Amino acid sequence: MQQTLAFRSKKRCSPVIRSFRTAVLRHAPFMISLLRSVLIHRNRMPHGQIHRASLVEMFLRKTRLFHLLLLLVIALGLSAASGTLLFAKGKAHHKAGIPRIRHVFVIVLENKDYDQTFDPGSDAPYLAETLRAKGALLTQYYGTGHNSLDNYIAMVSGQANNRATSADCGTYAEFQQTGTADDGQAVGEGCVYPANVKTLANQLTDAGLSWKGYMEDMGNDPARESATCGHPPLNAPDLTQRAEAPSTAVPEGDMYATRHDPFMYFHSIIDEPACAKNVVNLHTLKTDLQKIATTPNFSFITPNLCNDGHDSPCANGGPGGLKSSNVFLEKWVPLIMESPAYKKDGLIVITFDEGGSGTITRTPLETTVTIAGASCCGQQEGPNLHGKYPDEQRRISHGRLIVKRTLSFGGDRTGALLLSKYIRPGTVSNTPYNHYSLLKSLEEIFGIDEHLGYAGQKGLVAFGPDVFTGD
Amino acid sequence: MEHRTHARALHPHRRTWAIASACIAAVCCTAVVLLIAAPGVQGKAGAAADSAAGSALSPEAELGRQIFFDRSLSASGRMACATCHDPHFAYGPPNGKAVQDGGPALKSPGYRAVPSLRYVLNYVPVWTHVRDTNPIEQLTEADTSPAGGYTWDGRYNTLSAQAMLPFFSPVEMGNGNVAELAGRLKHAAYADTFRAVFGKQIFDNPAQAVQKAAHALEQFELQDKSFHPYTSKFDRWLDGKASLTAQELRGMRLFDDPDKGNCASCHLDQKGANGAHPIFTDFQFEALGVPRNNAISWNADPHYDDMGLCGPFRNDAASKDQTNCGLFRTPTLRNTAIRTVFFHNGAFHSLREALRFYVERDTNPEKWYPAGPDGKVEKFNDLPLRYRRNVDTFDSPLNLHRGQKPVWNEQDIDDVIAFLKTLVDEDVVNKEGTANAR
Repeated sequence: MQQTLAFRSKKRCSPVIRSFRTAVLRHAPFMISLLRSVLIHRNRMPHGQIHRASLVEMFLRKTRLFHLLLLLVIALGLSAASGTLLFAKGKAHHKAGIPRIRHVFVIVLENKDYDQTFDPGSDAPYLAETLRAKGALLTQYYGTGHNSLDNYIAMVSGQANNRATSADCGTYAEFQQTGTADDGQAVGEGCVYPANVKTLANQLTDAGLSWKGYMEDMGNDPARESATCGHPPLNAPDLTQRAEAPSTAVPEGDMYATRHDPFMYFHSIIDEPACAKNVVNLHTLKTDLQKIATTPNFSFITPNLCNDGHDSPCANGGPGGLKSSNVFLEKWVPLIMESPAYKKDGLIVITFDEGGSGTITRTPLETTVTIAGASCCGQQEGPNLHGKYPDEQRRISHGRLIVKRTLSFGGDRTGALLLSKYIRPGTVSNTPYNHYSLLKSLEEIFGIDEHLGYAGQKGLVAFGPDVFTGD
Repeated sequence: MEHRTHARALHPHRRTWAIASACIAAVCCTAVVLLIAAPGVQGKAGAAADSAAGSALSPEAELGRQIFFDRSLSASGRMACATCHDPHFAYGPPNGKAVQDGGPALKSPGYRAVPSLRYVLNYVPVWTHVRDTNPIEQLTEADTSPAGGYTWDGRYNTLSAQAMLPFFSPVEMGNGNVAELAGRLKHAAYADTFRAVFGKQIFDNPAQAVQKAAHALEQFELQDKSFHPYTSKFDRWLDGKASLTAQELRGMRLFDDPDKGNCASCHLDQKGANGAHPIFTDFQFEALGVPRNNAISWNADPHYDDMGLCGPFRNDAASKDQTNCGLFRTPTLRNTAIRTVFFHNGAFHSLREALRFYVERDTNPEKWYPAGPDGKVEKFNDLPLRYRRNVDTFDSPLNLHRGQKPVWNEQDIDDVIAFLKTLVDEDVVNKEGTANAR
C-alpha cells in the first residue's frame, strides 16, 4: 500500500523509492531512445519498407504518449510487485510460504499464564472460546522475562532483558551502552536504548511500510505524559507506573503505562518527529480502520492498565483482570475484523507479556513465592542479567517477610491467539514460540531479511504452515 | 508491571516524606471551619478576594466565596470555613494549635490538624486502592497503597460532599440539621443572590438549598485563583525567572535523593510533561508512626485511636482492611514552611522538628517515643499494637535501625528547610514564622 502512495507523495517516499525514481527519470530519455531503436530495427522490412508497428511507434512519438506510456509501464512494474523496490536495497521482499499479509494488529495483554486464559472457566470467554474457534491457538507461546517491560522490548527489538527493564524502569533512565554482543545485543543497563539500537518500527519505516502504536489513555493527564509519543522526561521518575483515578482536573483518569509502550524506549523512535504521528491514543484507531489507505501496515495496541488485565480493581472502578480484557477485546477485535484492511490481508495477534503463575508457601514467619521463569526455543539470557538461579529477593510487607524465588530468566507460558483469513478456524499449534519468534515472524511477513537481536538467534522458528493453515 | 527499581515511588509504606503539613482540623475532616476569630477572616475574602480580583468566577463560585467567609452559618456565629482555612495562611490554620475548637460555644476540640487547601483540590483523585490482578504479583511486587479522596482519610470523593462535614460537625460549625443551616442561609446577607443563582423557591427545599451551598463552595474552591496562585520562588525558578541559592539547591538534592531524604518519592517535585508545576503530593496514603499527641484532648482516652483510613471516622469497606490502619493521605508541601503544626495529629510545631523526626525516628527512637510498661521505647505509640506493623520501615530514611547514623545532619536539615521555604507563595511569605525554622 505504501509503495504506491510513495509515488504520489514525495513527502512519504522512502529513500529507496526516491533514489530509484530519480534514476528512472534521469535515464528515461536514453531508455526511450534505446527502445525506439530496437523497435524500428526489429520492424524494418527489407527494401526499406516500414512495418505497421513502426507506424504505431511514430504515432505514439508524435503524440508524446510514448514517453508517458513507458514511464507508466515502469511505474506499474514497480508498484505491482510490492517489495521490488526494496529488493533493490535487499531489505524486504515477500518470502515464499508466507501469506501475503499486509496489515498486522498485535494486542498485548498482561500477566496471565496459558492456563488462566485458555483453560475452561476462563474469565475471558470471548478470547478463550469465541475467538479461539476462529483462529490459531499457539499453546506453547512463552514470554521472555519478568516483569513487563523486558517482554515488550523483546517484541519490537529482540533486545534481551537487563536489570532495569526487568524491574520495569521506575526511572526513565538512559541505557548506558558499553558494547555490543552476539546477535546485536546491546551490552549495558538502563531503559532508553541509544539510536543505534533499531526496532521493527525502524525496519518498517525503512521498507516504506507504515506503523503505529495505539495506546489507550495516553495523554488523558497531560501532566503525566503527552497525548502522542508520551513518556516521562529522560532520567526522571516514571509517574505512569501507577494508574491515576479520575479527578476534577482529569475526569477520565489516566491508566496509560509507559512500560507497556515499547516504542518509548528507543531513541531511534522518540527522537524522530514522526513519533508524534506514529504513537497515538487508541481512540484514533477507529478512524484509521475505516480505509485501507489509513490503516497502518503494523499496529501495536496496548490497552490501559485496567483493560490489559494488569489491575484489579482498577483506578476507574472497573473490575480489571481478564474480565476487563474480555470486554476490551469484544469491542476492538470486531472493529478490526470488519475493517477493509483486515479483510483484505490482515492478521491479528493477541498475546500476553508474561505469565503470572507460581507457587506460594506460607510459614508463620514468612511467605515464599516461587516463579519458574520458564522459557522455550533455546532462549538465551542475554549479556546483561548475569543471573544466578535460583534468584532470591526479600522484602518486608506489613511486618511479614516476603521471599521471591525465581528459578530462571524466562517469562513463562502465556499462549497466543492469531486470527486471519490465512488461518483455518480452530487451528492449534503446539510448536514452541516466544516474543523473539513473534518479531522474526513479523519481519518475515513484511519481507524484511534482517532479523533484529534475538529474532536472529540461530535456529529460531517463525510462524509457519502450522499457523497459516488457510487456503 | 513491577515497580521495583522505583519502589520508592510506589510503595505504600514509603510515604516517606509526609511532612504532613498537618492535619485536619476539627473533627472528622479537613474541611473547613473552625473557630477563633482569626485575623483577616472578615465577612469578606481576604487574600482570596485580593488574588481573585480579575479572575472570572461563575455566579455559583462567587456565591461560594461569600459562603466560605460567612461566620453566620455556624452555630456559634463565629466560625466560617475561612476561620481554620485562612487565606492569609495559604488556606491553612492561622495558629499552631494541634486541633481547633468548634461547636456552639467554640469549646469543642477537633480531632485532626487543619490542612492547607491550596493547590490540591482540583487534582485530588477519587479514592481507590488499585491492586495487581495476580496474587503472585500482589506478593512479589511493591505494595500498592490506597490513594485519593478528600480529607486525611480520603473518605469523600467530591468537594461538595466533603463540605457537608464541617457544616454539621458538632466540633466545627455545629449545625444541628439541614433545616437549621438552610435557615441561616436564608437570612444571610447574600440570600437574594442565592435565590438569583439557584431559583426564587430555593429556600422552600432546605435539603436542596444546603446541597446548592455545598456546590457553590466547591466551585469557589476549584475556580478561584487564590487556591492555586503558583507565586512561590520555586515557581519563578521553574520558569527561569529566579535563581535558587546554593543552599536551596543543595536542599533540593537532599530532598530528592532516594538514598537520603527520599522526600520526592511522595512529594513529587518535578515539572509535568506539559510543563505543569508540581504540587508536591501524589495523594497516596502512608503510615509514618507519628507519636501520640497528648495535646489532643481525645487522646486522654487510652481506647481512642485515630487510625486514619480504618477509622474512627471512616466506616466503609476500606476501613475494614487492617492493612489500612494507621495510613493518612500525603499532604502537599507547598507553603508548609509557614505552618506551625505538622502531621495529622499536630504532634510537631516546627518544620525542623518534623524533618528531624523523619531522619531520627528509627536511629534515635527514644527522642520521639516514651518508654512502654516494660521500660523499652514504645515506637509508633499512637497505633494499637497489632497495627504498628503497617508503619513504613521499608523506604529511606525510615529503614534504619537504632544507633545508625541519620541520613541528614543539622546542616542538611538547614538546607532542606531553605529549599522548602522556596515553596511559600508570595502572598503568605511574610507569614513565615520563626518557630518553624528553629
